[in-house]
Amino acid sequence: MLSSLFLFFLLQQATPRTIAIDERLAADAHLKIGDRVYLSATPESRSPDTVIIGAILKRSNDPAEVARSEYRIHMHLDDLQSITAYGDRVDRYAVATPNEAATTRALTKINSAAFGFDAHRSKDIAIGTSKTFQVVSRFHKAIGVITIVASAIFLLCIMLLKVEERRRDVAALRLMGISRRTVMRAVVIEAALLALLGSAMGVGVGWIGSQFVNWYYRGVYRTPLAFSLITPSIVTLAVLLSLVLGISAGILASLRLVRTPPLVLFGR
Amino acid sequence: MPFTLAWASLRRHPTRTLLAMLGVAVSAALLLDMVMMSTGMRESFRTLLLSRGFQLRLAPKGTLPFDTDATMLNTREMVRILRANPDFNAVSPVLGGTLHFPRGDRVITASALGLDPAVQGDYELLAGRAPTRPDDIVVNNFLYSSLGARIGDTLRVATGYDPQTREYSGMRKLVLAGRIRFLYGAMHQRGAAMQLQTLQQMSPPEKADASSLMMIRIRDGVPMDSAIQWIKQRISTVNVISIEAALDQVDERLRYFRQLAAMLGSVSLFVGFLLVTTLVTISVNERIGEIAVMRAIGISRAHVVAQIVLEGVAISIIGAFAGLLLGLVTGRYLNSILSSFPGLPEAIDFFLWQPKSAWTALGLLALSGIAAGVYPSFRAASLPIATTLREEAIA
Repeated sequence: MLSSLFLFFLLQQATPRTIAIDERLAADAHLKIGDRVYLSATPESRSPDTVIIGAILKRSNDPAEVARSEYRIHMHLDDLQSITAYGDRVDRYAVATPNEAATTRALTKINSAAFGFDAHRSKDIAIGTSKTFQVVSRFHKAIGVITIVASAIFLLCIMLLKVEERRRDVAALRLMGISRRTVMRAVVIEAALLALLGSAMGVGVGWIGSQFVNWYYRGVYRTPLAFSLITPSIVTLAVLLSLVLGISAGILASLRLVRTPPLVLFGR
Repeated sequence: MPFTLAWASLRRHPTRTLLAMLGVAVSAALLLDMVMMSTGMRESFRTLLLSRGFQLRLAPKGTLPFDTDATMLNTREMVRILRANPDFNAVSPVLGGTLHFPRGDRVITASALGLDPAVQGDYELLAGRAPTRPDDIVVNNFLYSSLGARIGDTLRVATGYDPQTREYSGMRKLVLAGRIRFLYGAMHQRGAAMQLQTLQQMSPPEKADASSLMMIRIRDGVPMDSAIQWIKQRISTVNVISIEAALDQVDERLRYFRQLAAMLGSVSLFVGFLLVTTLVTISVNERIGEIAVMRAIGISRAHVVAQIVLEGVAISIIGAFAGLLLGLVTGRYLNSILSSFPGLPEAIDFFLWQPKSAWTALGLLALSGIAAGVYPSFRAASLPIATTLREEAIA
């Protein structure tokens, strides 16, 4: 409803009440504290209210607000009710309770007596309003799975090529009496090291990417929110996943190698 | 001849070739999905907006249709002005609101549209009849099953509450005339439609002549700009939104997905390119002696280059074809995830299949296949023949 309000700038001589506007509106409309503006609920209104800008607010860090480009203003409740002809009505109440038990009691009491409205826990509302982010999160996970499959195949290919490049070395080792197990262990350790080094580089590239994403989207949406976070748990998961994939690829590639007779590996 | 040699070279290491093709297939699938996503939303939304032929939409100034609770006043006068223009084939005013259906000890709430059934462009009738009488109401399937009512039943419907008097406001008895599907309805959203005047009468007095949206169908051949100008000159309190302007707004809101598509598409293309380059380079390194012999017996550089580039292209193209199928499956799955976005019309597809998308993905992969063969083929073509043969003989 707030976003449907229209601002008209004009100096006035009355003693109007104050409003608070968001910093984007202040920047875009070149408004500052103390400026007088006209407010009306419809563009054709002939008797708009005059108010003074009393505060400029930072945009909240609410992710639900990120994609919305409308300007926001905060005004006294009775002013808004009057300007929009909303009567003595409100859209919602926020009730602070001292503890969980009091919240439960308040919920039961309000919902048993209420007519035309319901009481909800804040966390339930948060779950309901965060559905967009749940969807995005599921989408990212699905993309993540596809990426993991692609990396697994890539890693397997590389390991296969690496061990095949050393067919003759392995053949020589086997003919010298080095056991299959030792050869296999060497290949798997090499694969694990490769995966670890790759993960370390990946974390570095990811960190740079994350910084770029945050810088870019903070600029686009003009918000202090962090869009990309690299947490220790994410790094641990990525490194573990990479290790598991690397070791599996190493085992598969080395199995192929040690099962081939040394002379065949020599090409004879 | 280069085809035969390239094919023989690929068949020499079947596991390796198969894995490479599989890798390219996954990259191709992701690439196709991202190409579909980058263009699909816009096309899907355009199709939806044009599904009933309304090219213009009017919304309260400063807002988009149904983006806020704001309404346009003097609807009857606005409709009269607009219908007086012979260039406009149809004008469909719509008012949005909320309805409450008391059913025993519970109340079912749904969104409602008041419209003119003769020129509406918001729903399609599934069963029963349109709300042609003032006391008719039609509901979508989700609301129909929630109500547990049948077509022909009379329902008590209200538009609000008065908590102090504990009474419903705008209460009226309406006859359930039919079942509908809203074209712009979101998944799991209860909705109903009735005549515009009925909803206006049931709503608070300030909405007695209000509407939230007006849709206009323009006669063929009439320039869009002149129609927009004509409206702006006569009605200054509305936003005139063309299909292109609406699409730009959608693009703006869903910009994140387009950027993600561009980013992931580039990454998948690069990964595919890297995989093919690595494989072809190693394959060339292994066959360095053979290539030197070929050059020594008179096979031209161009022939060698063609054979190696063909290897890369073959891996890319075969992998890409497999990837297209995989991409359709994953695209469908990803679409099912994004379709559950709250408030998004159910009919919108994020991953819209278009032959153009497939050709784009295939073309990009073919190009990356050619690019992947450039370095190894250059290396092979520039081999010093005598030195290479001597080194190979010693080895």
